[in-house]
Amino acid sequence: MAATSAPPPPPTPPPAAVKKTAPAPGPQGLAGLVVIPMATAAKQFVKSLWRPSTIVYPYERLEDPEFRKRVAVQSGRPIGVGEVWDNYRGVHALNIATCISCNLCAFSCPDVCIEMVNVDLGNGKSKKCPEIDYGKCSFCGFCSDACPEGCLTMTSNYTITTNHRSEMVYSPQRMYSIYQTKLPMNPIRQERPVNEDAILLDQDLCIGCNACARDCPTKCITMIDIPKPQPKPGEKLPKRIWKEPMVNDADCVRCGTCISVCPKECLYWGAHP
Amino acid sequence: MTVTLYDVAYWLSSHLVALATGTSASNLPGGPWTTAAVALAWLVTGIIVFAASLVNTLILIWWERKLLGRFMDRRGAMHVGFAGLLQNLADGLKLFRKQVFSPREADQFGYYLAPTAYMVTSIILLGFLPVSTGFVGGSVPLSLLLALAIFSFAPLFIFVGSWSSNNKYSLIGGMRTAAQLVAYEIPLLLAVVSVVLLTGSFDLTTIVMDQARYGWFWLPLILGLVVFSVAMLAEMERIPFDLPEAEAELVEGWSTEYGGMLFAMTMLGDYVRGLVGSYLIVLLFLGGWTLPGPLAPLAAFPLGGIVWFQIKTYLVFGVFIWVRAALPRVRTDQLLQVGWKRMLPLSLANIVIAAALVVWGWPHLTWPAL
Repeated sequence: MAATSAPPPPPTPPPAAVKKTAPAPGPQGLAGLVVIPMATAAKQFVKSLWRPSTIVYPYERLEDPEFRKRVAVQSGRPIGVGEVWDNYRGVHALNIATCISCNLCAFSCPDVCIEMVNVDLGNGKSKKCPEIDYGKCSFCGFCSDACPEGCLTMTSNYTITTNHRSEMVYSPQRMYSIYQTKLPMNPIRQERPVNEDAILLDQDLCIGCNACARDCPTKCITMIDIPKPQPKPGEKLPKRIWKEPMVNDADCVRCGTCISVCPKECLYWGAHP
Repeated sequence: MTVTLYDVAYWLSSHLVALATGTSASNLPGGPWTTAAVALAWLVTGIIVFAASLVNTLILIWWERKLLGRFMDRRGAMHVGFAGLLQNLADGLKLFRKQVFSPREADQFGYYLAPTAYMVTSIILLGFLPVSTGFVGGSVPLSLLLALAIFSFAPLFIFVGSWSSNNKYSLIGGMRTAAQLVAYEIPLLLAVVSVVLLTGSFDLTTIVMDQARYGWFWLPLILGLVVFSVAMLAEMERIPFDLPEAEAELVEGWSTEYGGMLFAMTMLGDYVRGLVGSYLIVLLFLGGWTLPGPLAPLAAFPLGGIVWFQIKTYLVFGVFIWVRAALPRVRTDQLLQVGWKRMLPLSLANIVIAAALVVWGWPHLTWPAL
């Protein structure tokens, strides 16, 4: 009904007639049709005789400072793009030390190319870190956008060519070694929308099972005791543990692990109270 | 004494026959053995000419790829062999391994005849074009006439191939070839007439020797050189006159339906014709394998004539590549206009100039008291 009640749009005035101007006639005759094009081609030939503009890619790379310097010295004209590729979306770098295993990268990946695998940290400790299959990755950057700790970033490294498809699966350790090369990276962290910024609890559904607190990567959930109500005569109390999760908002990274592990679906996103 | 191609071939064949009979090559038993040696020598001559022309053609394609690359601000083939010299061999090998097939509705005989005949008639030309003194497969007194006659066979076979391909694009390409023939053939032959007027001979060796003696013909017959080159561009069906192959309008022109080795043969035919066209320009107007007076000692080393002839040929073909890089394709009516309204009068004027030179006593000009 809204569509019909809307006032009709005011009639648009007819577009002013576009004046068609004939293109300026170029030089005609023998000079214009033969001599000038041939001279242009010859000029281009002389210009590219020493060094054509093309880059022999595997042997010469634009980001190689040696190469850029050599070309600038030889031809007297610098080539290529800007020095810093700070927004290039290439191979990921992963800082294993700060990764909190929140799973957000794997959640956000539209190509399902990220798998959380165990990384041995020594001392019998291990944690889950992302492993990326570049055979599937589309380099959209959602994962590094989602990473709450800024530990999964994208670098300017674009060389993934391999002889075998299995070599395109990058383990966390391999991405850590890329992190150690200190390539330009682009950590981007998008703010969550306001109405999905806090984790809220439906107290009637919660059974106090501790799953959220157990799986929280930052251990920001603590189970607090709640008083057990006195049942009225004839009323049956629900079977539950008389505890409730409390989220320490300063430590929470909004990974949503608690929401996904909750067996009773009592946790949900919402606005701050 | 200059070594000729037949000498080289006879040296090879006589040694082979001597090996077979157990005698020395200088003292062959007479009768059938000598006949066999002579026959074998002609066979070896043919093989040498064939192999040399094919290698030459491959180098010509490489030259075009590299030069065109520079005109287009890129490098061209560069990975296989030194500077990509063997890239054409690799491409040929790839095409050679492909399946040979024909369209279902195609006329089999014409379909397979066309590329074969196109290539063979092009290669036959190389048999009697002299490359250097004595280096000619078969010496024919009317070699220039024969060369031009065989050179204009190609449109016929192109037309046969395009018609039997049973493809509308092929057919349009073939029709264009036939229409194009009308435009360039007459100026081409008239431009040649001027050279014949000056030398009084149809023998290419005589024409080159005359140029070595009296100066190259490009200077008095500059109009003829221009007309001949432009007509030769149309004859070779290269840009800007590659109407039969116009890949922007007709898929691949008359060779649309040809794939694999058949395509390789049409391609090879194209470039052999390019080679022959450049040969003819060098032979008729640019002094063949000779160098002008003061530079003549530079060509004195063994096989020097061949080297200079090839260098000149590649330079001439380089100009054709330059034209290809610079000019767009013309329409059929434009080609006909250029042929009939520009090139025909120019070639007639060129004949008048040549006739005047002959009247005034070429090569020793005596200016008549007018």
